Formats: sequence, C-alpha cells, structure tokens
Amino acid sequence: MLSLTFKNLWARKWRSLMTAVAVIFGIALVAGTYVLTDTTNQAFDQIFNDSLAGTDVVVTAKSEVDQQDGSTPSFSAKVLKEVKGVDGVKQAAGSIFTQGAILDKDADSVGGGFAPQFIASTGPKIFDAVTYPEGHKPTGPHEATLDQAAADRAGLGIGDTIQLIGSGRAVPFKLVGITQLGGSSFGGTSIAAVQLPVAQALTDKRGQFDQISVAADSGVSPEELRDRIAKVVPKELRVETAQENADRNASEIKDSLQFLTIALLAFAAIALFVGSFVIFNVFSITVAQRTREFGMLRTLGASRRQILRTVLIEGLIIGLVGAILGIVVGFGLAAGLSAVLKAVGAELPANSLQLLPRTIIVSLIIGVGVTVVSSLIPAFRSTRVPPIAALAENLVVGGKNRVVIRTVIAVLLAALGLILIATALISGKDGGSGAAQIGGGAVCVLIAISIFAPKLVTPAARILGAPIEKLGGLTGRLARENAQRNPSRTAVTAAALMIGLALIAFVTIFASGLSSSVNKVIDDQLPGEITLQGTGGILPFPAGAIPVVQNVDGVEAASGVRFVSAKVDGKTAAISSVDPADIVKVYTVEWKEGSDSDLTGLKDGQLVIGDKLADDLGVGVGDSVTLTSQKGRKFKFKVSSIMKTDSISLAGEGIISQNSMARDFNQKSDAVGLVKLDPGADLDKTQTLIEDTLKAKDFPTVDVLNQGELKDQQKSQINGLLAMIYVLLALAVVVSLVGIVVTLILSIYERTRELGMLRAVGMSRRQVRRMVRYEAVITAVIGAVSGLIVGVVFAFLIGIPLSGDGFELSYPIGTLIVILILTALAGVIAAIYPARKAAKLDVLEAVSYE
Amino acid sequence: MESTLAAPDQSQSSESPIVKAVGLERIYGEGQAEVRALDGVDVEFEEGRFTSIMGPSGSGKSTLMHILAGLDKPTAGIVEIEGTDITHLDDGDLTQLRRDKLGFVFQFFNLLPVLTAEENILLPLSIARKKPDQEWVDQVIDRVGLSDRRDHRPSELSGGQQQRVAVARALVTKPAVLFADEPTGNLDSKASEDVLTLLRGAVDEVGQTVIMVTHEPDAAAHGDRLIALRDGKLVHDAPPVSADNVIELLKTLA
Repeated sequence: MLSLTFKNLWARKWRSLMTAVAVIFGIALVAGTYVLTDTTNQAFDQIFNDSLAGTDVVVTAKSEVDQQDGSTPSFSAKVLKEVKGVDGVKQAAGSIFTQGAILDKDADSVGGGFAPQFIASTGPKIFDAVTYPEGHKPTGPHEATLDQAAADRAGLGIGDTIQLIGSGRAVPFKLVGITQLGGSSFGGTSIAAVQLPVAQALTDKRGQFDQISVAADSGVSPEELRDRIAKVVPKELRVETAQENADRNASEIKDSLQFLTIALLAFAAIALFVGSFVIFNVFSITVAQRTREFGMLRTLGASRRQILRTVLIEGLIIGLVGAILGIVVGFGLAAGLSAVLKAVGAELPANSLQLLPRTIIVSLIIGVGVTVVSSLIPAFRSTRVPPIAALAENLVVGGKNRVVIRTVIAVLLAALGLILIATALISGKDGGSGAAQIGGGAVCVLIAISIFAPKLVTPAARILGAPIEKLGGLTGRLARENAQRNPSRTAVTAAALMIGLALIAFVTIFASGLSSSVNKVIDDQLPGEITLQGTGGILPFPAGAIPVVQNVDGVEAASGVRFVSAKVDGKTAAISSVDPADIVKVYTVEWKEGSDSDLTGLKDGQLVIGDKLADDLGVGVGDSVTLTSQKGRKFKFKVSSIMKTDSISLAGEGIISQNSMARDFNQKSDAVGLVKLDPGADLDKTQTLIEDTLKAKDFPTVDVLNQGELKDQQKSQINGLLAMIYVLLALAVVVSLVGIVVTLILSIYERTRELGMLRAVGMSRRQVRRMVRYEAVITAVIGAVSGLIVGVVFAFLIGIPLSGDGFELSYPIGTLIVILILTALAGVIAAIYPARKAAKLDVLEAVSYE
Repeated sequence: MESTLAAPDQSQSSESPIVKAVGLERIYGEGQAEVRALDGVDVEFEEGRFTSIMGPSGSGKSTLMHILAGLDKPTAGIVEIEGTDITHLDDGDLTQLRRDKLGFVFQFFNLLPVLTAEENILLPLSIARKKPDQEWVDQVIDRVGLSDRRDHRPSELSGGQQQRVAVARALVTKPAVLFADEPTGNLDSKASEDVLTLLRGAVDEVGQTVIMVTHEPDAAAHGDRLIALRDGKLVHDAPPVSADNVIELLKTLA
C-alpha cells in the first residue's frame, strides 16, 4: 500500500508539486527568517568576542532605564586608578564607545542608512582587537582611523579628511588608518577611532569612560580578577569577565532582533494559513475524483484506516517535499532579505549563512504539520467512501448536508474570534501576547467566514459575474455557472485570496490613517513653519545648533526639545525638556489642568505630566513623583500641571526644564528643534538660509524641514514599512493564486467530457480559453471583494479604541480600487495555463474519455 | 412461491450452500416514492458453481448482488456466507470478509493506472498484507494469458486484457465467492468470450464459486445455473440451455 501511495503521488507529480507550493513559500519564510537571524546573531557573537581579544575583565556602568538609542551611561575616570590598584591586574585602560556621526569632507555620511555610527577611542596595544590593513593607529589629536567597510563604502583612503560629530560641532580629522576586526563584517555599522582624550572631548565625556578593559596577570583567572575588582568599584558599575560581557551584549542584540524574527514569522504564518486552504482544496477535489478508486480498494479488502493512511501519507510526503524545498528557497530568501534590509538602510552583519539543525527541524515539523492537518478533513471524507462506489458509474459522495452544524461552528468561531480581538483591544495588552491574541481572533473569524462562504458564492458569483456575462455572452454565462457549480470549492479558493487581500486592505487603511494622524499632529501641535532634526531623524543633534538658528534673519523663535527615558515612580516613560522662553510660540500644548504659563514658567524640579501617565500613577497637581535616571539616581519632581497626551505626542509623557535635564539626566542634545518664522518672512528663503548657516557653523547633521517636508518624511517612512509588508503579504497572495491555478486544472480535468461536448458543438479554442479565464476572474474578484470588505471592517473595528488616542482612520478608496483591479488581472494570469490546457483537449478524446 | 421456483440442482444439496439468502427485502425511499427493489428473495448458491443473475433493468438483479456481496444492507432478511451472517457485520468485519472470502470483477475493470498488471493482480494481497503464494500467482497469471504482459500498465493493455487482469486479481486470493458485475458489458464479443471462458475454467478446474450479474444471454449461457428476477422477485431458476433459450426467457420476463 505504501508503494501504491508513492506511485499515485508520482503519477500526479505536477499536481502534488503545485500543492507543495502552498507550503514552500511559508516554510521558505520560516527557514529564511531563522537563517537570517542566526547568521546575524553569529556575526554579533563573533564581533563581540573579537573585540575583547586580550581583555580578561570589563567594567561598565549599569543601565537602570534602557534608552531608545541603546546607549549606556558613562562613569567617572577615577575608577581606573582603583582598578589598577587591584592585585592581579596586569594592565587596565578606559575607553570611549559612543554613537556619533561620521562624515566625509563634504559632510556626506559614510554610513548606510539607519545603521549606527560610533566614535571609539584607541588604547594600549594589549587591548587592541583591530588590525590595520592600511596605515596605523592615530598618533596625534587630529588623526583618526575608520573601519574597512565604511571606508570602502564612502570611497575614503589614507590621507583623506573625515568629520566626526559627537555632542558638538563637526570636527575634521585626517584619516591615517583603516581597521579590521578579525574576519567579521559589521553590516552597515561604521566605527571611527581617535585618541582617548580626543574621543572624550568629542562626546562631551571629559573625565569619563564608557568602559574599562582589564588584562590579568598570568595565573589569575578572569573570574577571580572580576570578583576582586567588583569589591573596589562603586555599586552602580558592572564588572564582568570578557566572556560574560560578550555574551550579554550578544544576547541584548538577539533580544532586539527578536522583534524582526516574530514579525517575519507572523508573515510566514499568514502564508502557511493561506496555503492550508489550498492544500485543503486540492485534497478535497482529489479525494472526490478518486471516489471510484477508493471504493474499488475497499472491495479488495482495504480497511478505512488503510484508506485514511494513504491519503494522510500523501499529505505527509507533499508536506515533506514542500518543507525541504522551502528550506532551500529559504536559504536563498535569507540572502535576499538581507539584501532588501541593506537596500532600505538596515544592513545586518553577516559572515556565512547559518543553517542550524533547529531551522531544519522546525521547518520540517511545520511543513509536514500544516499539510497533514489541512488534509485531515478530506482524508476522513475519503474513509466514508463505501465499497459500492466502485460499481457506480457517476457517484458523487457528498458528505451529508451538515448545514446546521456548519452554521453553528461558523457562528461560534466568529464569536470566539471577535471576543478574542475585543478582549485583546480592551485589556490593552501590548507586544507579543496582545498581537498573538488579535491574530488568533482574526484566524477564527476568517475560518468562520470561509466555512460560511459556500453560501455566499452563488449570490456573489451572480452579482460579480453579471458584468462578465454581459461582456462574454455564453462563455461568460458558462464561466459564472462553473464558478458556482461547486460552491465550496470556489469558496475555499476565494477565501485563500480573501485572507491576503483582507490583510493588504487592512494595512493600507491603517498606514493611510497613520499618515493622516501624523499630519494632524503636525498641524495641531506645531504652530511653527520649520522643524529641525538630526539626519534621518534618528540621532539627536548638538545643542549648539539652536542658538545658531535663533540668530538667523527671519527666525522669530527656535526651541529645542530633548528626550530621555526615565522611570517615573517606577514606570518607564519618555520625558522631554524644553526651553521655557519660546516653547509656547512653537509648540501647542492641550491642557487638562494648567495653562501655557505653567510651561513658560517651568522651574527646575517641576514636572508637567501627561494625563495618561498621571492617571496610571494616580498623581495630581502638587503631588511629588520620583524620576529615576539611567544611572539609577533618583530625583524628586513636583507635578505643576497636567497636559493631554495623544498617542503621538511630541513632548513625550512629561516635560521638565532644560536645567533639570542636563543636570539630572545628562542629556544635552536636542532631538528636535521647532522654529517659528517672523511674520512676513519668506519660507523658502529663510529655510535655505537656516540650512546654509548650520552648514557654515559646522552643524551638517541637522536636517531643516518645512512642515510639508516633515509630513512627506513621515509618510515615506510609513510607506517604506508598508512596502515591506506588501512584499511579505504578496507571498500569501501568490500562494492563493497558485490555489486558483490548481483548482482550475483539477476542475478542467473533471469536466473533460463536457469540454469535449462544447467543442464538438462548435465552441472554439478561443472561447474555451476565455471561459476558463472568466471563471478565474470571477473567483479572484470574489476573493478580492470579500477580502477588501473584511479588511475595511477589521480596520474600522480596531480603529474604534484607537480613536481615543488621536488616531483617525482614512480610507484610501483609490488604492483599494487599484488593488481590486490588480487582483482581477492576477486572476487572468492564474488562468493562462489552465485555459491553455483546456483549449488543447482533443475533441474526440474528450468525448470518449472514460 | 419463489421457493417453488428455486429448484437447485439436487445432486449438490447434500453440501451446505456457500451463500445463502433468506427473505431478502430492499426498499428504497418512503411513502409514495417507495421502491421495492427486492421483495422477498430466498436463494442459495452451492460451492463450485457458476450462477448468472439476469433480469430487465429495475428487476433488482444488481441490488441482489450488492446485498449478497455485503456492499449494501437489506431492509429485511439475512445473507450468510459460509455460515456467517454478513448482514449485521460492522465495517471492520466486512473488510476482513472481503479480504478472506470475496473477489470482485467490475464492468469498468477498475484497475489502478499507476500499477503494472502484476502489481494490480497482487493488490488485494498487499492490502491484506498477505504473502503471495508465488506458484499460485504464476498459475493465475498464466491462466489469464498475461505472462508476457506482467509489467504493462493498464493503459498499455486492451480492454479484454484489462478485464483479464481484473479476473486474475479476483482469483489470486482464492475467494470463497467471486462476484462479477456485468464483466463483459464493456467488451467486444471476442474479449467477452475470453473472459467468460476464464471464469468457466476457474469453476471447472479449481472449483471456484462465481456469481455473475449480466444482461447478455451469451454470457449467461456460460453458467451452470440461471436465476432471473422481475420486480424484485425471483421468477426463474434453472440451468441455462442455450443463448437462444435465454433470449426467449428474457422475452417472457419483459
């Protein structure tokens, strides 16, 4: 019997392979995701290990509150003296490793996109992890080195000038060395190194270190030395062996990459979910077509279990083949994904692609699991074929008509799904568990819809097929009849497409809503005309820039906003600081309790708190709260007033004075600058003037955007993300199109005799082709329309609770119509091969086909 | 009344019948739409005999065979095969019964296109996970005249050859009863003759019991016994004399 299964599969190898496609894409994304993240993790492991060559113990500062840019606090250089005094220390040196900007002499960034750039200090030879393929270590205060990849990217060589920006103006350096760290690549990250005092000055860390590296005397183990050092240094410092430090850094990176892994796996799950519909359909049709064969096997003595087993083993093998091919494709996909990430400026470091056993095992289990589970219902249906089916000429084994049961299941599933979604939204769970619950709810609703869908196919085909009928006459009518002849078949095919399109519609609407909400925030909160931000809106820019802008002709007011993450009574929140003098001219606060005078009169030690945070903490005006800084220091602040905070608030969840910010939180750089022009000043001219002045005064990393450009920038960021989501969802759509192709081919095979008859009475090959094409289009349009409807409804539902956060939906009708048309066209493309196959049928053979 | 018509050959009555049906009724539908496909049929089949079942369409001949073979359940009455009541067996026991005691030949051959002739013949054994008795297999294949076609796929065989494969497939398990449902219905006269000769030979040489439904007088004439049904009742039971004789009989039934 097993060999029979193989022979059957082989005889239907194309059909089987097409079925396998349903899992190949999903598995490819699973495997690709793992390969990509494993490769990145491995590369980071190597980078951290390489960079600590020669180091036995590392001293760094603990970070009490994680900052958005991932920076760690620096600490006093005095610690070094104590460390050096510890018995068993052969050598110890402090160093700087801080995010900054690296530019060439024309002020163009050497980096790739969003990848960070670091300013590092050089140290004693013993801690030198890098080699110098060209040039040498900096020997004077005006010399710097740059890593090989960055130098290659920017086309820089020895003797060229580079500019470094820490917390002040750009400073020029002469490039004297190109560095390489072991064999590893940093991805898009760039590192420039200068002498230690220079690095401290650049980053405003005079008398401070980011790290102390220690080498042990021979005979002293790193662990022993670590314990000895830990006894003499202040509590807020962390003492680790080099290995521990490398492991911790690597695992922090892994944690932050976890988000990418989950996001990509979510899309893989979507593709597999769609694939399961296709598999279900192919197996259902195949089982129906093999009714006589199953009946015959039963008369020969095959038991139900044997029939069940043959079908399930077919599923297993198809799943296995799909998973194996998926792993192969996924390996290529990982390379492709990393190229895509590189293209959008988020290049990840990579050495050689990592294919771990876990990747293979997980892919195989998921691939086989999805296929077998999807084939379960058809497989059980096959066991209900009675032996007498072998004798019947045209026996259709319809399961009993379980309309009531089906409806009940559909309603229950839909209710369960809606409850899951609603509770997730109401409870406001964030991150993974909330999203998983919403996703699970959506899956329930979608399955419910597809269970109920066969009922909708006939009316849907009638309505959507009407124009085609008008257009195509008899062929159009036959196509429509064919589409609704087997409603559950068409329904499942269309439902697969519906899922992809529902998600596309959903994200399209959401992205458009996000864009318009951002625009609204910009319009409502920013009365000024111009916004300043660090290049690309990532890093803060030096404090010196704002005074420069204030002095530009035509500028009425310019005010910087600084940010820090702090704990407010134990709850982490984004806290901003503003310059009280001009802030109300450039920033509009909506007050819950208080007025603009609370902002202009903001004193050190006072906090303007957001209403949500105030509610969470249960504090009101006049109450005291404790703010904890990154270094773990605690400061008392008095709540002076309460502002309303929308989901996108430019001022974070609290505002303190610039002095408090600098003194208590050591943040002296501006995240954004808000500029209001003199009434009557020419916008274009003043903007250009601001840009030129900033460049001339060595602040080249400040972007000067008018409100229109700011909106465009935000929109293009949203659209960039949207484009990536489209690409990933396209996988699911392609899978569902493959579903249309397979279903059409199988249906044509079933209708061989009928097609022969139509040809015999005079239908041309062209007409046959057109008939098949119309049927595909009707199916595709049913899927597209229902998908768009579901997507719109979901977006509307999820938008309700968010509207309180200032999020407003907008419906990009034009885009949705374009999507609908594209889907109909995709249906035409899906029909090409089946239509050709149908048209090729030999009339005589078709009629005499048994 | 039927029992008087059923006049089995007295010479074999000393042995217990291999298939025995008592009081078979089969009713389809209800009320106005009620159809009595079988209306009280008692019939017995002795071992080693070749019986043809005939009757006009709607006479119940196919229903009778389906019920005798355990493919359908009677509304009333019982069927015994080798003394076992099969009308109350569950699916598992029926499966076992088919493996051990029944063989089938169909009108539309029902061969698996992906298997070779020999693999098709061995299929019932591999389904039942029984070891083939190679000598017997060779003998069967030789008997159906397909020794040189063992490795051919059904698509490479003529209709007659395909049906001979099907007959071999039915014989290979040495079933207690071989049921043939219009085995020549899809064959030309030459191929029909071959298949009928094969069945006849199996009965004569190895004592195979064969029950065949047919509407072809020529085919029926190959049997030892001809029973005929009309409106769900047994109306004739006697050895066939000749094809012409059968045609005459059918005329009286119609």
